[in-house]
Amino acid sequence: MHIMEGQLPLIWSAFWFAFSIPVIIYGIYKLNKLVSERREVVPLIAVAGAFIFVLSSLKLPSAVTMSSSHPTGTGLSAILFGPAITSVLGVIVLLYQALLLSHGGLSTLGANTASMAIIGPFIAYIFYKSASKAGMNFYLNVFLATALADLATYIVTSLQLALAYHGDYGSYLESFAYFAGIFALTQIPVAIMEGALTALIMKYVIQIKSDTLIDLKVLSASAVTRLKETME
Amino acid sequence: MVQVLDDYAITSPLRQKNTLLKIAIASFGIFMGLLSSSPITPLFIFAIISFSIIFFGKIPIKTYLKILTIPASFVITSAIIIAFISGSGQNLFSFEIFGHTFGVNKEGLNMAILVLSRSFGGTACLFFLALTTPMIDLFAVLKMTKLPDSLIEISMMMYRYIFVFLDVAMGIKYAQTVRLGYRDFKTSFRSLVMLGANLFIRSWEQGEKLYLSMNSRCYEGKLVMYDEKRSIEIPEILLAFSFFTLVIAIFYFTRDVVLF
Repeated sequence: MHIMEGQLPLIWSAFWFAFSIPVIIYGIYKLNKLVSERREVVPLIAVAGAFIFVLSSLKLPSAVTMSSSHPTGTGLSAILFGPAITSVLGVIVLLYQALLLSHGGLSTLGANTASMAIIGPFIAYIFYKSASKAGMNFYLNVFLATALADLATYIVTSLQLALAYHGDYGSYLESFAYFAGIFALTQIPVAIMEGALTALIMKYVIQIKSDTLIDLKVLSASAVTRLKETME
Repeated sequence: MVQVLDDYAITSPLRQKNTLLKIAIASFGIFMGLLSSSPITPLFIFAIISFSIIFFGKIPIKTYLKILTIPASFVITSAIIIAFISGSGQNLFSFEIFGHTFGVNKEGLNMAILVLSRSFGGTACLFFLALTTPMIDLFAVLKMTKLPDSLIEISMMMYRYIFVFLDVAMGIKYAQTVRLGYRDFKTSFRSLVMLGANLFIRSWEQGEKLYLSMNSRCYEGKLVMYDEKRSIEIPEILLAFSFFTLVIAIFYFTRDVVLF
């Protein structure tokens, strides 16, 4: 869910750039630190970014609405790499989506980064970490974390539009309700679909290539063996 | 095969022009469109830029109209919402659903038209850049800036692998489709899961191979690129300059114009 070019007034575009840039700088700092420790992560992260881009260009089958809806992939990336690196990957993916597919725009890049690459993944990550500490079922956890990332993205986008466009003073809430209400028609089914898709993708990955998940510290080795046992 | 805007950029006749000039034109258009408080400036930018995309960039009109519809649905939905929510005063028309009155007033309608025209103006400028400048040329510009190397390196490798994986994904999808994998909702969901999982595993293996192959070619955290020098010619400067002055003049004279 992107805000298209020219949809935000200049002042709000600038505001969201000011919000996003420090986070991205922090993400780059984290990334550089990781790269200096383990040089092999550069190609891996680049390839993961390309994977997110391709995943987000696939159309989800949509039973509820006829509109084309696609996954964002940011929830998956947040679970795999953490929110800091996801924000850096997200900003590059958003730039490519704008320049290669004309989803989103350049002046709204800051706003889209805030919703899709920063706030959504951050919430997904917090949820995933705390739920796995609480001992929630891994697939349910992935499902909920990814769906939450999508929902958070869509709510922040509605909020961004509501802040920029509203009626008289004090009607922010009302205009937020309008935007959120209308976009909910397409975005809630998308969130549920993407959650289910990501959870099932994880199941395949555990079956076939579970060692990458251990490498990335998504799951501990004992958790993987337990999950594999339940499959048989 | 997925068509991306870059495919047009690589064969564009404007590709040989100076990248910085193209970036300047596109960002100037976007900026002035957002600055403008009347819909005339963005619409003027839209007209001029669309003309240059079709006439100088040699993009077929049909193709151009088709790619313009990509952002259209989101833009139009939000313009309608904006018409209903913003502004105050006398309603031009209104109706009632579930006891709640929905109305559009003058201010709201003007705002919606302004946002719509800004989106079209901005989108045209974005297309101007996307349809004439391949990413490779933009990387050269990024390298000139002070952006950290790791960020640019990752963007470049990502760019390369986007196309590799798009091909893989389309291949898998085609194979699934001919085996009736997208017959109904349930099968298409199952197929999509398999596609996503396979793509993930393949991309992971590809990443490991990429690291090995780059290491064996002495990768030290820096990819060196050949940057073609493209000079700006005088007619181009004049054209860009007249575009800038025209837009500024129109911006100045139409700043108080409202449609309704």
